[in-house]
Amino acid sequence: MGGTLGLKLARVAVVVAVFLLWETLSRTGVVNPRLLPSASDSLAMLGELLQRASVRNDLIVTASEVLTAFVLAVPLGAIIGFMIAENRYFAEVAKPLLFFAFSIPKSIFLPMFILVFGVGFAEKVGYGFFSTIFIVIMSTTAAVESVKVEHLTVARSYGATTAQTAFRVYLPSMLPVLLEALRISMIFNLTGVMLAEMYASRDGFGHQIATWGENFQMKQLLAGVVMISVIAIAFNELIRWIETRCSHWRT
Amino acid sequence: MQPLANITPLKPAGAVEVRNVGQVFTTSTQDVVALDDVSLEVKPGRFVVLVGPSGCGKSTLLMMMAGLRQQTSGAVLINGAPIPKPDPNRVGVVFQEASLFPWLTAEENVEFPLALRGTPKAERRAKAQDALKLVGLDGFGKRHPHELSGGMKQRVSIARGLVQDPPVLLMDEPFAALDEQTRMTMGDELLRIWAATGKTVVFVTHSLTEAVYLADEVVVMSARPGRIVDRLTVSLPRPRTYDMLSGDVFGGLRDRIWRHIRKSA
Ligand SMILES: Nc1ncnc2c1ncn2[C@@H]1O[C@H](COP(=O)(O)OP(=O)(O)OP(=O)(O)O)[C@@H](O)[C@H]1O
Ligand SMILES: [Mg+2]
Repeated sequence: MGGTLGLKLARVAVVVAVFLLWETLSRTGVVNPRLLPSASDSLAMLGELLQRASVRNDLIVTASEVLTAFVLAVPLGAIIGFMIAENRYFAEVAKPLLFFAFSIPKSIFLPMFILVFGVGFAEKVGYGFFSTIFIVIMSTTAAVESVKVEHLTVARSYGATTAQTAFRVYLPSMLPVLLEALRISMIFNLTGVMLAEMYASRDGFGHQIATWGENFQMKQLLAGVVMISVIAIAFNELIRWIETRCSHWRT
Repeated sequence: MQPLANITPLKPAGAVEVRNVGQVFTTSTQDVVALDDVSLEVKPGRFVVLVGPSGCGKSTLLMMMAGLRQQTSGAVLINGAPIPKPDPNRVGVVFQEASLFPWLTAEENVEFPLALRGTPKAERRAKAQDALKLVGLDGFGKRHPHELSGGMKQRVSIARGLVQDPPVLLMDEPFAALDEQTRMTMGDELLRIWAATGKTVVFVTHSLTEAVYLADEVVVMSARPGRIVDRLTVSLPRPRTYDMLSGDVFGGLRDRIWRHIRKSA
């Protein structure tokens, strides 16, 4: 991440300040501690939760759903996106339809997934996949379109084979946009799976969060929120780090 | 100067022959005759410049010489043989701006044609170094294109075009995106490189001054359908110098080209 030492310190200071404010509001009773347990108590609860076998199990369930949906949606979406971008006719037909599909809130389809798949792994993976694939298709199309015709002509004029053109021109041209797509897809994917778990599920971390909310277990709920936030931010930053390493030439 | 120690043996310059070439583009609305019965012969080692109004088919003709496009009728021969597909061993191409791969360093860009043919790394590096030295970019090999000026980028493009020692070098408006001062310098640089390598060069430009300054011969084309309307031999001595620009010979040639272009525009 960019920025001088001063800027980095300022960012850390903001985060610390938020936690301090949270702590003070709760400890002084300005906000009812039953509604907002203190930051230190919530973080302690987080440590305790991580020890619990049931919680770890839920995390594993959620992680496997998220990964399965991701591993299905990304390659399939990428292939469809590539075909759309490379075929004029396909593109003309599919592009507006994709924009339509993309603009519809995916959550309204969740009940249908439950009806078709029943509550469980398949339903949650299916809904995660459905939440993700459109953004993957659209990003891949954009990535293919970011390949410059001039570069393709250069490769052709030096006698590049189809495979060489794919690996030496398409892939490096598309890489920055593709990594960005990967990052944003994960946000959509995670949102989809969590929503499915919170809406109707017997297990998974989203289900836990929903249950804690319903039972007014604020400490557990806040600990869960912090945990998922940290995991999501970590994944996002990892891809962003790879992105900056791979696309230093894009200025 | 021993510019190409690692690019030896220096292949002899090549001949380009264009025989009664026609090109028709079929679009959904109409058929466009881009080139009509164009014939042109470029002797080995000559520097020939193509000029003509925009859309007259200069790039199309050059693409045919590069094997990047096939003519509708007629024949294009490089060193006596047709060129049905790109052949980097016979023809090197230098494109307009922005044709370098931004994710590769200058050196890797120059090595690109060699990498495609599986040339061993060490040999590739040595040849790229030589080519970069030849274009005056010794020591800039590790930079990425965005760290180079416009003129330097085009030098890298020229090095890439020359790295396989092709007998013919084709250049489509290579300096069009440069400012006038850089453009003048690059013209002198190109003439120096040409003298050092003895390549046959076919060069497309919109600048009449550049055309006369660089060429042994200027080929003037007319607007659609593209035809050759005049061929001028530039008898000014070499090396060309800046003083020649204001001379009568230079002015006379430039006027003659301009009159053709004005007529057909
Ligand atoms: N793929 C194509 N399909 C249809 N028409 C084309 C195609 N390529 C070129 N043309 C037409 O052929 C003519 C010649 O094009 P070309 O690019 O060779 O001209 P040019 O002399 O290089 O022009 P400029 O000086 O602007 O670069 C133009 O009228 C152009 O519109
Ligand atoms: Mg052109």
